[in-house]
Amino acid sequence: MKYAPPFHHSSALLPVLAAGAVLTVLPLIFTDAYIRHICILAFIYAILASSWDLSLGYGGIFNFAHMAFFAIGLYAYGIGAKIVGLNPWLTVLLAPVAAIAFAALLAVPVLRLEGVYVILVTIAASQLLLKLIVSQSEVTGGTSGMVLLPRLTIGDYRLTDDGRIGYYYAALAMLGLSTLFLYKLERSPLGRAIKALRDNKYYAIARGVSEGRTRLYTLCASALLPGLAGAFYGSYVRVASIEVFGLAFLTLVLSILLVGGVSTIWGPILAAFLIAVFSEVLADFGSWRDIAVALAIVGVILLYPGGLFAGLQELRDFLDSRKTAATAAWGRRFQAGARAALMGAPGRSIATGHGEVALFDTGEEKPALLLIHGNSSCKEAFHRQVAAFRDRYRIVAFDLPGHGVSRNGNPRTDYSLDAYARIAAEIVGILELDRPAVFGWSLGGYVALEYAAGGHPLGTLAICGTSPLSLYPDDMPAGYIASPHMELASKRFFSWREKRDYAEATLATRAPGSGLARRAVWRTDGRAREQLFSRMKTVDWQRQVAFLRRGTAPFAMINGSEDPFIDHAYCAAFEYGAIWRGAPQSIDGAGHAPFLAAPETFNRLLGEFLEECASGWHAEKSGPAVPRFARTPEFRTTEE
Amino acid sequence: MTFETFQFILASGLILGGLYALMAIGLSVVWTTLDVFNFAHGAFVALGAYIAWQVAQYGEGLWGFVFAAGVSVGLMFVLGFILHFCLIKPFEKRPNIVLLAVITTLAASVVIESLIQLVWGPREKQISPAVSGRIEVFGTGFVANDVVALAVALAALAALALFLRRTGTGRAMRAAAQNREAAEAMGFNVTVLYATALGIAAAAAALAGVFIGSLRFINPSFGADPLMKSLIVVIFGGVAKFTSPIYAAFILGVVEAFSIYFLGLYWSPAVLFGLMVVVLLVKPEGLFGHRRKTL
Repeated sequence: MKYAPPFHHSSALLPVLAAGAVLTVLPLIFTDAYIRHICILAFIYAILASSWDLSLGYGGIFNFAHMAFFAIGLYAYGIGAKIVGLNPWLTVLLAPVAAIAFAALLAVPVLRLEGVYVILVTIAASQLLLKLIVSQSEVTGGTSGMVLLPRLTIGDYRLTDDGRIGYYYAALAMLGLSTLFLYKLERSPLGRAIKALRDNKYYAIARGVSEGRTRLYTLCASALLPGLAGAFYGSYVRVASIEVFGLAFLTLVLSILLVGGVSTIWGPILAAFLIAVFSEVLADFGSWRDIAVALAIVGVILLYPGGLFAGLQELRDFLDSRKTAATAAWGRRFQAGARAALMGAPGRSIATGHGEVALFDTGEEKPALLLIHGNSSCKEAFHRQVAAFRDRYRIVAFDLPGHGVSRNGNPRTDYSLDAYARIAAEIVGILELDRPAVFGWSLGGYVALEYAAGGHPLGTLAICGTSPLSLYPDDMPAGYIASPHMELASKRFFSWREKRDYAEATLATRAPGSGLARRAVWRTDGRAREQLFSRMKTVDWQRQVAFLRRGTAPFAMINGSEDPFIDHAYCAAFEYGAIWRGAPQSIDGAGHAPFLAAPETFNRLLGEFLEECASGWHAEKSGPAVPRFARTPEFRTTEE
Repeated sequence: MTFETFQFILASGLILGGLYALMAIGLSVVWTTLDVFNFAHGAFVALGAYIAWQVAQYGEGLWGFVFAAGVSVGLMFVLGFILHFCLIKPFEKRPNIVLLAVITTLAASVVIESLIQLVWGPREKQISPAVSGRIEVFGTGFVANDVVALAVALAALAALALFLRRTGTGRAMRAAAQNREAAEAMGFNVTVLYATALGIAAAAAALAGVFIGSLRFINPSFGADPLMKSLIVVIFGGVAKFTSPIYAAFILGVVEAFSIYFLGLYWSPAVLFGLMVVVLLVKPEGLFGHRRKTL
């Protein structure tokens, strides 16, 4: 299941609303017809470039007939409105049909070709169309084109009146609709099929995506908008000429697409404005302008391969990591009291090989219990366990890098299960804990497993909300229930709504004292989520499986029965060497965080586990290890 | 139709084919070697013609022409060689190199065209032909310059073929085209070979430009037409082998000559394109193409 929140819940909402508002009031501020003219052209370029992105970027089809689709719209408008004498509005709406018909014809050879050949065929098809238009000069005006095309009117009001304000708003509305169309299409099943074909053709076909049909739809959908834009352009400039087939126009639109960023809808729209304004500012320099624009394009592609959009995302990334770092610094400086009140003792900071992490340690000579929190959470999530166990155990808990009040780590080195497990080991070493009991929750469960499998000192191991995996990502669908919130776990940027959703799905947000953990979602460095999941493939899962199968250390699994993520049947069927009470324990009614939602039950279970281990439950049970191969996932092959 | 007419049409078709072959060969060399489509090819043709025109201002007649053509071809080789490091090399490692090369070569063609405009102005020019008058071949009279153009085109293609098949550098280039990694492993400097391929393409384009410039008027943006013509040739013949666009060029030249004679100037492009569409539908990799590329 793909996580795709509706647009009004995504973080793109505010910028788009702001841009829409600015563009709506812009013509009221600048009443000059020339500025409006440039805006109208920018709108049309934006539609052209962003719709080209559909086939070129998302579809990976080197479709260079896009200008031909535009030209068809243009000439269809000219012929329909001037020669046939149809209503201009009707013609604008009908023109895309002609472009789509051409696209469908073009699809016939394109479907059989790959890569560069598609460039050739689509260019050749455009040239064929050009020759056809030139040769039919009695209809199309040949090389001199068609002039004085009818303009669009509403009643007697011409859209060119009042400094072209009618055309401005019509073009703006068209850009809005086209963007909506592309946005919806990209996220529809068809859009996913298009991207799947681009990313891994054979896998997509094997999964039932029809290559031919999808490519046909891609081309047709990609032809719809330029057809419309072409007709609108014809009604605006009132000339249909073969200039639109020229390399200059192709270069302009293609550079808008590439400078904006391929496979982003917003990038080309932004770039359309920049390039339209840039080339207008330099308009007086003639040939020098063309040279400057061309060099600027090559420069942008050279320095910013992802285009403007990638630049914007880098900026956002920078700001976001700064924001989370500042939040953490604020927490370190001003919320120490609140944390100490909740946990019953102040925390401190400790230097590790992966940066400074925030540590909580009750620090008495008792058996140690190390608590490892989950993704986008913090050590304060365990405050009920601290309260319940501190009389019997030395409680040690820490914030993972990028979480809680620890510092943000280096995304290249500090955000992985391996790094987290090493931090845990370092802390165990620094505090000189002797074979601690380790409890890990969710992501922390994997950290705990990784810690244990790495052969670090370990007394007992308990995990919660974690499905043991033997192969990543193949076991993910088996071990976890597919839910949109699973996608959030690896998502870099959270909108406020996503933060709330994530906190609600993972935490018992109504439990008293969960506020700090809830706010930890706000603070977490998005790169920690992203990097951790992208490094999941490098984790030695077999080592963890071997550890669990060996059953040499006492192991317990305590889950909430209502956990929205983990698959209880999978966890129960996993081959454990020795698991406490013979099966994963389930706490009725609790969700992903049973230690918060039902602390009494959870603490009783954990306490019983720790006590039974101390009194030798495991020693009695564990005999010589008998290998069991009821389920042998080790030899599965995986194809990426 | 008399035999003489037939002969005449055939011959003019061959002359046309020679020019097409010269234009298309550069495109196909770049494609087979560098795996990118060079949109600046038309601009190379135009720039080659302008350089030759400039040099030809200092000398008249056959030797003036030969000198101009030589200077133009040499300069364009150097330019092509250098441009590889600006247009293709920086993007080699990018996954979407095909697309990026399209935009960088398009940008290069814009820059070249604008520079031509700035240096030589928009007015039309013509290079004075190498030889004037008519000569008789097999009993039919031809414009001598056309025959020279065909002869030189054939000689240039033959020289290129010899270079690619008999010389060490040429063979290294073919090796690099067929398997880049293997060629690198054998110690070839693939970057230089790639740059040489672009240089050869630019030189061939310049030679084509010189002859086009002596046959008709040139203006800064006249390269677009040769580019499209070479494109059709390349699609028609496929780019699997060095020779395939050459055959295709001659076939297309003859077909065009006949269709001009029988159907007129207006419809002959349509005939060519119709033919191309048929080829694409029946054999998308081109008449002489294979799925796998070799230079």
